[in-house]
Formats: sequence, structure tokens, C-alpha cells
Amino acid sequence: MSEQAWPPLVIVVGAGGVGKTTLAASMGLLSAEKAEDTLVMTFDPSLRLKDALGVGEEAKGDEVQVTDHLWASLLDAKQTFDRLVARYSPDDQARDRILHNRYYNHLAGGLAGILEYMAVERLFEVSESGRFERIVLDTPPTRQALDFLEAPTRIVGFLDSGALRIALRPWFDGQGNLRPTARLGRLGRRFESYLDEVVGLDLLREMVEFFQAFAPLFDGFRERAEQVEKLLRSPSTLFVLVAGPGEEKIPDALFFARRLRDAGYTLGPIVVNRMHPRIEAHEREGEGEVGQVDGMDLFHWLGDRDARGFEELGQLVGQDHPVVGLPLLESEPSDVETLRQLASEFEDRLQEAE
Amino acid sequence: MNASTLTPLISRELIVVTGKGGVGKSAVSAALGGLLASQGRRTLILEIDPRENVHQMLAAPPSGGEIVQVTSKLYLQHLQPRMVLDQLVRERVRVEFLTKRVLESPVYHHFSEGAPGLKEMAVLGHSLLLVQGRVPGAPAIDVVVVDAPATGHGVALLRAPRLVSEVIRQGPVASMTKEVAELVASPDRCGVVVVTLAEEMPVTEALELRADLRSDVQREPDLLVANGLYPPVSESTRETLETADARRLWYSRRELNDAELARLDEHWSGPRVKVPLFPLDRGPELVAEIERELAQ
Repeated sequence: MSEQAWPPLVIVVGAGGVGKTTLAASMGLLSAEKAEDTLVMTFDPSLRLKDALGVGEEAKGDEVQVTDHLWASLLDAKQTFDRLVARYSPDDQARDRILHNRYYNHLAGGLAGILEYMAVERLFEVSESGRFERIVLDTPPTRQALDFLEAPTRIVGFLDSGALRIALRPWFDGQGNLRPTARLGRLGRRFESYLDEVVGLDLLREMVEFFQAFAPLFDGFRERAEQVEKLLRSPSTLFVLVAGPGEEKIPDALFFARRLRDAGYTLGPIVVNRMHPRIEAHEREGEGEVGQVDGMDLFHWLGDRDARGFEELGQLVGQDHPVVGLPLLESEPSDVETLRQLASEFEDRLQEAE
Repeated sequence: MNASTLTPLISRELIVVTGKGGVGKSAVSAALGGLLASQGRRTLILEIDPRENVHQMLAAPPSGGEIVQVTSKLYLQHLQPRMVLDQLVRERVRVEFLTKRVLESPVYHHFSEGAPGLKEMAVLGHSLLLVQGRVPGAPAIDVVVVDAPATGHGVALLRAPRLVSEVIRQGPVASMTKEVAELVASPDRCGVVVVTLAEEMPVTEALELRADLRSDVQREPDLLVANGLYPPVSESTRETLETADARRLWYSRRELNDAELARLDEHWSGPRVKVPLFPLDRGPELVAEIERELAQ
């Protein structure tokens, strides 16, 4: 894959702490330097990277121009969710009912997968606008990179208020008030008291209110999720998988690579990031202080470990698929110049791997 | 473990180990568990992450939800919060078809998934029941070490009792919430250990976590573990050997560690342990090394 072949959408996935965000930023820079208008969408980047890109809080919600052809934005789940609610609400009243609901506020900030879902939502929004020739999306750190793909379906399933409304109908009237229990019979009464003991009726009432308020929006959300799914599966959307170095990380990377391919997503290069260099035996004569782990012995071990992991992964993934190793840097990029160096290193290694 | 930074933690009933993914939280939890057990405390390491991990550290069979005995005083259990909630419903609603009806109802599904703090409460509640000997079939346990989930801040776990008590005021969950709130609020009974790497993002997150602990549950960490440090470089070594790439990399990564350790120092004067990076894969040997560092 030469640099011309990067598709319009590049999604960088992988576990937390593997340097995804930095890599996404440098890929964006690479693309921008080919004079293509490029947006890097990222979550919670380090201060250093924010400095490198020259973006701050103002990039939350809006794209901030970094260089002639490079823009960056910071994603905020709650803000994106609010914006979606506003878009699909039939009127201001309906919108406010949701935005002020306590259950909604908890969901919008805390429901597992919401950040991932909002990332693809925002991606779709920007991609539809046609403002950029290329978008590089850095995904939120997940323990399992898989969460990212499952999030839209899971969240839409969760928001499917239809099923919930039917389930709640016997206990709540149209206003979200609990019906007089006498009308429910013994079974209903028991069910209600169990619910109160385990869930708390106050919370349940807020949930009912939320799902009632959300009902008119649901069709919009579902349609949207389907479109988002289509976008993710499109051949012009490329997934770049980033993994940490070392044998321990192989099962994770392999699992996710297989899963992406099996599910029909387009898997691009797999990047093994932050690899320790391999060093020769004669370089490592003990220089550590007495009683301490010797630095060069440790580096020797780390270099071997990382090289072994890299080779193994390459074999397991198959020769036809590029696996690219990137070195651990002396320090994280703190300006555009060091980002550029990382980017060109990436490009070189990618060409070697193909 | 004489007079070490760990001494105050020995008598606790619950120790929550928090930190972002990839900082070595599971290894530290395992080491801490091992140390407590070696001091005669019957210890259970409770792992909440979606995927089991701690058993590898201890070369034990996977838990799959059951309690596994590792050594005479050390146990581990991998727990899905949902299982605890389901069990609660089963105990409460003793009629079989009603149980099924509750467990399968969309209402239950939605609340167990989305209710603020409920999953976290399930974890803490289970820990409390364990140390009180109220879990049927479980061995006697003195202390539970919770390897908190990597996603989100560990503070969510400690904040949960208050969130839940706002919405549930009666019944078994409410009374358990009250007991758990007392446990978590008591520095004599509950300890908090924060694990971090000495790198920019993990340190920033550790400091945020500490601020949240302070404002949300009025607690300070009992111990901060700076994990995975590159070996220190002596001045004489630094001067003579600044040529080879690998060496320069070692020095700069250690410098980065030092800068971040200094940033931790600026904001945190409480107990802190520095744990170096070991040339060992995850497993009992690595855990033993970390135990030695923690015990110093």
C-alpha cells in the first residue's frame, strides 16, 4: 500500500497505551503533506500531542486547523450525544425532556460503549459533510479493541425503547406514573415490590420517562446506526490495527485481526508499536550500578522479546498481510517535526513490508 | 513486610487496586494478594475485567466465576457483576418462574446495564459478603483485593454506594448499600492502591484519579505504585556511554520516568513504591519480584 492508496477513511484501533493517538496524528500529517485536506479525530490526547498539534479545548466539537491541509478535533461523547438528540427531536420540548433527564445524563456520560458509538457517529457526520478528503479516526482506548465495533449495535439495542415500553406498560401509565397496584393483581404487586427493592422505583420512573421521551427519536437513531455500519464496512474504510510489542500481546492482536476480516471489514496494516531495538551481545557488558538491574541486560531481553513477538505475529497473520514494526521513541513527539519523522518512518517500513 | 509502606494495609478488609489498562494492575494485585497471604491473612483477589488475567500471574487455573484456591491462604475469583445481581434476584424472588421473568425482562436488563453505580455496587457488595462469611460455599476470607476494571476510573467503584443510595431506599440492595458505604468510607477497613507507569498519560490519569477520590469519596490513596521503571543511570555511566542507540534509548526513557516521578512527587507526598521493569514474562516469577519491591 503506497501512500496514494490510503482510502478516504482510516480508523486506528487497538488497546489502550499502545500509542494509537500519536500514530493517528502522524498518519494525518503524512496525508496532509500530500496536499490532501485531512482531519484527525481523536479522544483525550496527551498534553504533549495537543501541543504538537497546537490544539486545546477549543477543538472539542469543532475542527481546528493545524497546518495548511491538516485539521484536528477532540471528541466528547456527551456533546455528540446531545447534538444527536437535538437533531432527531421533533421539537425543543422533546429535546429538553431528554437533555434534562437524570437517567439520560448518566447514560450519556457513563454507559459502556457510548464513547465508541459517539465516535462513529461523529465520523459519519463529518464524512457526510464532504469537507475532508481524508479522515483519520483515533478510537477510544478499550481493553478489548473489539468493543469498538460492537458498540453501535449494542447501544441501539439498548435504546430500543419499543421493547421496554411494552414491558413497562402494565406498571406505568402514559405519564410515567406507577399505576395503582390494586389493578395489577398479586403477581404484579410482587413484581413491583421486587423491582423497587432491587432497582428502586424512582430510578425506574426516570428510566420510563427517558424511554418515553426517546421514543420519537428512535427511528432516526436506528437508521443512522445502519448507515454508520455500512460506512464502516465500506471498502473505502481501512482499519489500521495497532498493538503493543511482545509475545503477550499477540493473542489480542491476532484475535482482533481475524475478527475484523471475518466480519467483512477492510483490515489494513497491523502495526506493532513501541518495539525495543534488538541489541548485540557485545554491546551489553554490564554498566548498571551494583545491585541494580542492568539496563543493557534488560534492553537485550526486551529487544529479544519484542522481535520474537513481531516474527510470531507476522507468521500467524500470513505473509500476504503487512505487519509493520515501529520503534519505541526516545520521547513522545512534541512538535510537528517529530510527528513527521514518525510518519516517514512508518511509510518506509510499510513499503518494506509490502 | 516490617514497617514497610504496606504495614497500614495489612489489617484492611477491602483493598481496591486501580489504574488504567496496561499499567500492570493485575500483576500488582497478584503481588499484593501474595504478600497479604504470606502475612497470614486469608486473601481473595477479585478480578472484574471482562477477560481473566490474574490466574496467569499466579499460574492458577482460570476461575470462570468460581473461587479458586491458589495457596493455603490465597484465593482468586473472576467475577461478572451481572452474576452477582442475578444471584440477588434469585435469593429474593424464590419462585422459579418469577425469577425467570425478572431476569429475562427488558426492564431488568436495562437497569442492570444502565443503572448508575449498580454493577460497581454488586462487586463491593460481594466483597463485603465474602469477608463477613455470608457467601454460601465460600471459604473464610479476611481481605478482598479488588483488581478494578481497566475501563473508566476506579473511583467509579468507590463512588457507587452513594449513587445507588440516592435511588434505592429499601430492600436488600438498600441495606447492602448502607453497609458498603460504611466500609468504603472507613480508612481502617478499606484501602486504595493506585498503579501507574511513570509516563505522561498514565501519570496524568493517576493524578486525576487522586483528585476524584478526594472530591467524590473524601479519600486519599493509601499507596501509589509507580510501575515498569527503566533502570536508573548513574552519572559516570551517563557520561561515558552515550553512543549506542539502545543505550541512548534507555537513558531517555529513564529520564522520562524521572520527570514523571518528579511530577508525581509535586502532587503526592503519601506512600509510594517504585517498581522496576523486570526481564520476565507475566507469571509467578514476575509477581514474586514485585512482591519483593512492595515489601521493601
